[in-house]
Amino acid sequence: MKKTFLSYLAIVIFCLGVNNSSASTINVAIDSSPAGLDPHLITAFNSVIIVQNNIYEGLTNIDSDLSVNPGLAKSWEVSSDGLKYTFNLHTNVTFHDGSKMDAEDVKASILRVQNKDMASPLASRVSPVKSIDVLNSNTIVLELNEPFAAILSSLAGIAIVPSEFQNDTEALQKIPVGTGPFKFDSWQPNSHIQLNKFGQYRTEGLPKLDSVKVSFVPEAATRQVGLSNGEYDILPGVDPATALQLQANPNVEIYQTRNLSYTLLGMNTTREPLNNANVRKAINLLLNRNEIIQGALFGAGVPGGPLSPALATWALDTNNFSCYTNDVAEAKKLINEASIKTPIELEILVLPRQDAKDISQVIQQQLNQGGFNITLANKEIGEFVQDWKNSDFDMFVSANGGNPDPDQYFYRTFRTGGSTNVFKYSDNEVDTWLDQGRKSTSTSERKSIYDKVQQKLACEGPISHLAYGDLSTAVNKKVKGFEIYATGRLASLISVTK
Amino acid sequence: MNFKYLFNRIFDLSIVLIGVSIIVFSMIRVIPGDAVAIMLGANTEITQEGMNELRSRLGLDKSILEQYFIWIINIFKGDFGTSIWTGRPVISEIYINAWPTIELTALSVIIGASLSIPIGCFMAISRGSFSEIIIRVAAIAGLTIPSFWLGIVSIFLVAKFYPGFIALGYVPFFESPSENLKRMILPVFTLSLPMIANLSRLVRSAMLDALSQHYIRTAKAKGASQFSVVFKHALRNALIPYITSVGVSVGYLLGGSIVIEQVFAIPGLGRLVLGAISERNYPLLQSSILVMTAAFVLVNFFVDLLYAVIDPRVSKDD
Repeated sequence: MKKTFLSYLAIVIFCLGVNNSSASTINVAIDSSPAGLDPHLITAFNSVIIVQNNIYEGLTNIDSDLSVNPGLAKSWEVSSDGLKYTFNLHTNVTFHDGSKMDAEDVKASILRVQNKDMASPLASRVSPVKSIDVLNSNTIVLELNEPFAAILSSLAGIAIVPSEFQNDTEALQKIPVGTGPFKFDSWQPNSHIQLNKFGQYRTEGLPKLDSVKVSFVPEAATRQVGLSNGEYDILPGVDPATALQLQANPNVEIYQTRNLSYTLLGMNTTREPLNNANVRKAINLLLNRNEIIQGALFGAGVPGGPLSPALATWALDTNNFSCYTNDVAEAKKLINEASIKTPIELEILVLPRQDAKDISQVIQQQLNQGGFNITLANKEIGEFVQDWKNSDFDMFVSANGGNPDPDQYFYRTFRTGGSTNVFKYSDNEVDTWLDQGRKSTSTSERKSIYDKVQQKLACEGPISHLAYGDLSTAVNKKVKGFEIYATGRLASLISVTK
Repeated sequence: MNFKYLFNRIFDLSIVLIGVSIIVFSMIRVIPGDAVAIMLGANTEITQEGMNELRSRLGLDKSILEQYFIWIINIFKGDFGTSIWTGRPVISEIYINAWPTIELTALSVIIGASLSIPIGCFMAISRGSFSEIIIRVAAIAGLTIPSFWLGIVSIFLVAKFYPGFIALGYVPFFESPSENLKRMILPVFTLSLPMIANLSRLVRSAMLDALSQHYIRTAKAKGASQFSVVFKHALRNALIPYITSVGVSVGYLLGGSIVIEQVFAIPGLGRLVLGAISERNYPLLQSSILVMTAAFVLVNFFVDLLYAVIDPRVSKDD
């Protein structure tokens, strides 16, 4: 009896010691399962990092430094009036289902995003596209109804899908079919998604890996230990506290880049007294952004205006914004002049995420110094989204991703009636500038327009931009060739080895 | 065993299931947050009409009472509904996620139930000794330490001292038995520890009770060995409360697995349920809770039957 048990134990221990396969696989751990994989419907970070650049590609591609490079289009010409874009496509591109990609697929993909029934969140990125002409199987012309400077970087986010999916709103959510270096293999709910090397990828010799496994690991401590001991290879988007801890681990390398994403304090401009621009300015004066960064973000971030400092061509330095110098007396004076009774009772809706919770506590204390009486409403994500969408808040603290072109962010957020203008902000001057910035194709002209927009929004806009974080990705040292992209995408997996 | 007893048990079982179905159905709908809004996330392109259409396609525009009866009637037709997010039949989602949980629960019950008998017997025999006091303190600690804490701490400790040993996530048993078992060790340890603590204390007191009975004195007097007295005479009588308790433990394990699956990244029913709550995935949540309840009730139903087999007085009295 005893002997049988011991020999059984020996067998188990022997089995545990046996190594599994030698194929090169990268295991990426993220916190939760994506809701879906349709590149034209997803919005969440955990869907985007799986799908974009790995399974799907666009006509153009945003590089790690945010410049626009060729993607499925190897080159393009723009007409002198800025209305016609002619794209020359790569000729050797195959979809994962084996069919060849041509101009008809590109056309169908753009139409799919524009289709009202799809309700694609990307629709505004291609809304100026008036007509699409297929010249031949490898040449396609997009005609715009007005010049739209951001079109090239916008197209990087429009994945090209096979034309047969043009009117199908469901199939691609579960089984994606793209042209990217990795082909979808399987999806185990609550466990992982497996992508395999796509043998017919357009560039010979790529990707270098055999497969990519994306594991869903809800517990942060588990992800951390799993990375340290080699169970997981990459943890994208680690929070500042975890990044600090992992930095000390000799097996782990932390890649950091200034991020496009930012934390913000949003204000409902239909609510008293936030409808008053001077009160919004007073709030900015009361905020001490450096204190927020030190106190809530462990120093991992920089203060910024409406555009990320990573967008070097566009962003104004915070020195340009008078309200960014913390000044309690001046803030009180502004509130006094507006003859608003203090204390001003307001509620902040808090995104259920650690950094947002920490930030809102610091903000609460900072604003209360200036005659506010702030209460914090910690809600669960479902409720948060609902209140946000219905503009049912005084203020909220949240985090947003960013966009490479100012128009992509400003137009939908600050234009009267914009699709994410939940603040109900409406300002004639800003509307006019945003329309002009969208139409102009001269970079210098756009720069001067967006300078004015930033100047105005920084202090009086419905959003106080708090801090641009550092995007940290923790990578096991066995992984070679990883490169971090400011967009947060895992675009370097194509050339990574292990 | 008589049929009246069986019938009564089945009747109780259906009352419990109906009660649970009503509670789960109404509770998830009382939580604020709209299923359709959460599913669409940050997508602001969708119009109000689009949302209404989606809502009616998912059957969420009907009255709550109507939704309830549609759900119940469909269950009797064998249709447990469709997951709002994945569009897959709920029953297949449950099926996929059930295996890890069944394995986790079964292994924990086996380990917990089998280890607690010798430990409990040892505690009863060596009552008051130094080693018994140590075990008793450890048992109280095992009962009071929350399993999620134990899970995280054991991951950290093992990673610190045996870094090569840690394996997280889940590999199906038939894909690779060694990888599967390797990943089960820590979660099963974490889950079964409170059970061992609880059951061994129970075995100890039941044994002490049994050992002080007259028939034990008689057995000793007729010259039976210590082993035979403890395991043949006392243990058998101490077994009835023990078996009941094992059945109830299955329920605790199913509950505990929600947390443990989260910590160890195991794709089981616990994570399915948790995900369904945050997605307001009504059909998925309702049906998976119902299935889990049914499993728990059934286990206890069989325990009751077993109880009646061991002690025939039970069914007669009922």
